[in-house]
Amino acid sequence: MSTDVTGVVVRLKLSLLRNGLRQSAGRRAAYVASAVLVLLFAALQFLGLVLLRGNAHAGSVVVLLVAVLALGWAVMPLFFPSGDETLDPTRLVMLPLRPRPLVRALLAASLVGIGPLFTLCLFAGSVIAVARGAMAYVVGVIGVVLALLVCVALARAVAAANIRLLTSRKGRDLAVLSGLVIAIGAQVVNFGAQRLGSSGLGELDPASDVLRWVPPASAIGAVESVSEGSYGVGLLQLALAAGALAALIAVWSRHLTRLMTSPDGSTLQAATEAAVRERTSTGLARFLPAGRTGTVMERSLRYVWRDPKTKAAWVTSLAIGLIVPLFNALQGTGSIYFACFAAGMLGIQMYNQFGQDTSAFWMVALTISSPRDAYVELRGRALALLLITLPYAALVTVLTTALLGDWPKLPEVLGLSFALLGAMLATGAWTSARFPYSIPQEGYKNVAPGQAGLAWIAVFGGMIAAALLCAPVIAATIWLNVSEGGDGWTWLLLPAGAAYGAAVIWLGLRLAAPRTAARLPEILAAVSKG
Amino acid sequence: MTSAVRVRGLWKRFGQQVAVAGIDLELPAGKFIGLVGPNGAGKTTTLSMVTGLLRPDQGSVEVAGHDVWRDPVEVKARIGVLPEGLRLFERLSGRELLAYSGRLRGLPGAEIDKRATQLLDVLDLAGAQHKLVVDYSTGMRKKIGLAAALLHNPEVLFLDEPFEGVDPVSAQTIRGVLERYTASGATVVFSSHVMELVESLCDWVAVMAAGRIRAHGTLAEVRGDAASLQQAFLELVGANGRDAGSDLDWLGGGAAR
Repeated sequence: MSTDVTGVVVRLKLSLLRNGLRQSAGRRAAYVASAVLVLLFAALQFLGLVLLRGNAHAGSVVVLLVAVLALGWAVMPLFFPSGDETLDPTRLVMLPLRPRPLVRALLAASLVGIGPLFTLCLFAGSVIAVARGAMAYVVGVIGVVLALLVCVALARAVAAANIRLLTSRKGRDLAVLSGLVIAIGAQVVNFGAQRLGSSGLGELDPASDVLRWVPPASAIGAVESVSEGSYGVGLLQLALAAGALAALIAVWSRHLTRLMTSPDGSTLQAATEAAVRERTSTGLARFLPAGRTGTVMERSLRYVWRDPKTKAAWVTSLAIGLIVPLFNALQGTGSIYFACFAAGMLGIQMYNQFGQDTSAFWMVALTISSPRDAYVELRGRALALLLITLPYAALVTVLTTALLGDWPKLPEVLGLSFALLGAMLATGAWTSARFPYSIPQEGYKNVAPGQAGLAWIAVFGGMIAAALLCAPVIAATIWLNVSEGGDGWTWLLLPAGAAYGAAVIWLGLRLAAPRTAARLPEILAAVSKG
Repeated sequence: MTSAVRVRGLWKRFGQQVAVAGIDLELPAGKFIGLVGPNGAGKTTTLSMVTGLLRPDQGSVEVAGHDVWRDPVEVKARIGVLPEGLRLFERLSGRELLAYSGRLRGLPGAEIDKRATQLLDVLDLAGAQHKLVVDYSTGMRKKIGLAAALLHNPEVLFLDEPFEGVDPVSAQTIRGVLERYTASGATVVFSSHVMELVESLCDWVAVMAAGRIRAHGTLAEVRGDAASLQQAFLELVGANGRDAGSDLDWLGGGAAR
């Protein structure tokens, strides 16, 4: 029986890949496009690494690169649990397989794909960048194989260890937050790269001194050691990588065995959790107004924290609203007016309010029987938003001002921020009633199939409308700044902007309420898709 | 006899498909009413239109004498709804969901607390009241949905497939609550495709198939001479006499191959 499990599993992986592509032309196109892109990127990286050859810091760069890639392999299964069907060993649980051949087969199957190919390109490039002499190349070949196997085994071990988490509700919640980690991570990497660009590669050396001993980076570090003639050190680094590989396979194998012989996480009763957390009142309600307003605010705020999709959207808005103005200010390229970015990003949360409810909107619809009810409902949601966005927008503005040291401009920028926030909430309320769309609860998509056009109209149309709504305040700002003696009056823009924002919100809610009340069944139908 | 719900000339099309093809129906007040029919008969569509969650193409609906679309203030205060296939606010705990629902309907806080505690107790959810609804089982979800629908003590309760996917113990609990509720003079309208259930629970039945009402009246009237409601139903929708056939002659016998 154990004749060729490896062959079967590798072929299974290939057929899954092929069948996945056969499903639709769009998917095929997307796959081919991403493959071309990844390979192009890999080729460029490869070229870049080859060109790095001879650079004094090449060794540091290479070791760091391998470490980052390995980290990527480690976290990837946490964020993309269903990315690879053969990666999920619980699907093979009914087959009569022993752990050892299974581990070998799954490991081999993991080596098939764009990811491993990309990694291989980079590792090979790394070896070329640092290797000098025939012996170094021999060590390089061993090192590349070892490093690649460590990466793959790492991903497998992490996936197997966490599969119970990944198939449970909490795990899926976690996965929704992954987009966020990537978005914020990209900003940080971008910032880091710019700093590196200004102060040189030498900054990497201290980190790489440590990392060259950490597998799998140590396997590539060995190449450099051998190139410098330190054969003993190189051998030790290789041995470290090999030891890590053996340990990872052992851990993975143990988890795999346990996984195949115990019930699936998704069928476990949630009630068996040792401690069911008591969710007593947080005391939030005491500070909120009575009646529908407070009720709606409380639920909205709870959802910001508890609902993974809502939370991800909020954290993204909060982070990007902070990062863009602050980083620009830090780099000295920023304008103080970038601080309005925070208000703009946060105002987006008012858009598609009912889509955020999903089909649970029926509970709201059944309690709205007049435009007045709809007005109070929308106002409650806007107030909940303001509770977070107003202080946050003010904070970002003050921080940006402090970094730039341009205090005289603070009042007008604050005024502009408030006006923009008001305009965003107003247009958000109106588009929520007029262009609602579904937000699928599973996966990464934020729009249900077939409603993308609607979502674009709602969000981009709304943002343009918000900008236009702000025109009077913007015009006043420009006028006061260019006119002679206007500087003395710019402080007026703070109360004016705030008042204007409040008036626009009020108007927006007033216009949105009758539309909401009249379109309840249509809104419910629109937000119940997918 | 007054009617709890009066439906006239109700139509709904989805594209080419006619989901509800002209329904006229009067449901008597104070009864346990079953709306039965096979999957795709238009039960959910009908209940959605009656409760104001779906706009009909034509026709009118009155609940307790008030038009659902012209007079929503009167109607929405008088009805309780448990829809099928729609979510709840699942990131709230069971108790929070009840409090939310009650406060949206304008009940005073102390009254909500009292009623929620009793409902959670009776429905056997007290132990799970602080757990998020997203972690509830199907039966628990139906029960918390029922509690939310009952909280404001509606005159008419609409339940879409309240027993679908519910374990026998929870089903018995739900039954007990509903029987007590109708005994007080309130009306329950529920849909189901399980005839035995409808037969044992209801005193008034409407049979639906392909978007139309095929028969309605008291259980005895609809059942007529047939041995059971199931038989009567199969005759009504013309699905009788179809046998599983002898084509599957290889099936069974234990000789695996």
